Amino acid sequence: MDVQELVGIVPWTFIAQIGNLFLQVYLVKRFLFKPINEMLEKRRAMADAEIRDAVKAKDEAIAMKTEYEQNMLEAKNKANEIVMTAQKTAAVQSEQLLLEASNQAAAMKAKAESDIAQEKRKAVNEIKDEIGGMAVEIAGKVIEREICEEDHAKLIDEFISNVGEAS
Amino acid sequence: MDLDISGAKVFFTIPFDFPILGKLQVSETIVVSWIVILLITGICIWLTHDLRVENISKRQAVAELLVEKANSFVIGNMGEKFRYFIPFVAALFATSVVSNLISLIGLRSPTADLSTEAAWAVVVFIMITYQKIKAGGVGGYMKGFTQPIPLLTPFNILSELATPISMACRHFGNILSGVVINALLYGALAVASSALLGLIPGAVGDLLSQIPILDVGIPAVLSVYFDWFSGFMQAFIFCMLTTMYIANAAEG
Repeated sequence: MDVQELVGIVPWTFIAQIGNLFLQVYLVKRFLFKPINEMLEKRRAMADAEIRDAVKAKDEAIAMKTEYEQNMLEAKNKANEIVMTAQKTAAVQSEQLLLEASNQAAAMKAKAESDIAQEKRKAVNEIKDEIGGMAVEIAGKVIEREICEEDHAKLIDEFISNVGEAS
Repeated sequence: MDLDISGAKVFFTIPFDFPILGKLQVSETIVVSWIVILLITGICIWLTHDLRVENISKRQAVAELLVEKANSFVIGNMGEKFRYFIPFVAALFATSVVSNLISLIGLRSPTADLSTEAAWAVVVFIMITYQKIKAGGVGGYMKGFTQPIPLLTPFNILSELATPISMACRHFGNILSGVVINALLYGALAVASSALLGLIPGAVGDLLSQIPILDVGIPAVLSVYFDWFSGFMQAFIFCMLTTMYIANAAEG
């Protein structure tokens, strides 16, 4: 069998190897890079879609959170308002109550005073009458004759009032 | 004993003399190259069948790793705009590695034939020149030879031509040296084992001395360097130089 030179360039081998190289380039491209790159592209698209979904979900969550916070704030404000209104009402009511109570107390006091005054007057009048009677009796006994109460009422009253003033 | 280290065997010759090109000879180099192509393509098809987007198999992980490595190698050395070079560089590397390693199964490496490396180097050289002309125009390319002073023009032409020659010869030399050293080692060990076993007296010694017992195992140690290390290294260097030269050429 013939052999070629150990070191040398054989034109046909040279050409064939250029052809082989480009054939290999095509085959590698067709059978390794194309399917792998397509698959990687698909995977990237999937990952992108997932990221998009995640971002959307996050946005939604943020929106929900904002809404929730706003609601909470509103509720808080409302609660504060309610409390404040209640406080105000309570204050007004208590003031009113106090006022009423003091008024009532004053009224009671006034009534008691008037009652006392009346009682006192009544008592004075009773005493006056009694003393008057007694005086008339004493005087009757003294002068030994009947003094007409009606006739001398004015005199007796004058006397008693003088006594009252003196007492 | 004689030791014969020769070039590629010629399997088939078309007995017609083409002008300049000579007779068309189907040599061992060409046949083994076809085997290499079939092997690489078969591996590619095997790696990429049944691809899935998620829950991938180990096989697919290897395929993806290879593609990613090729991408990062080419884009790292040449930049994003040379993305279309990825299959070329990958094919060059794969062909080189498999050609270098196919000697392990007893076939003659296509890379142990200067024609192979010369073909690759010339392709790369044409790409370099194309990128240079594309970057600076024909005028700019021609003018580049007279830089920095016109006196240096012959040296510039020489250095330009030295690029493919050095690329081809570096790769070829490394692989051929492996072939030669392996052949010498096998021959030497055969002689040594024959001498050693010939010490046994009588017919037994004569019979055993025919068996080159020392050829088992020992050459594998050298094969680690000359086939595995050198095979990967030269393929890597060739691809590295290819990417570097082309990227530099495009910068103008």
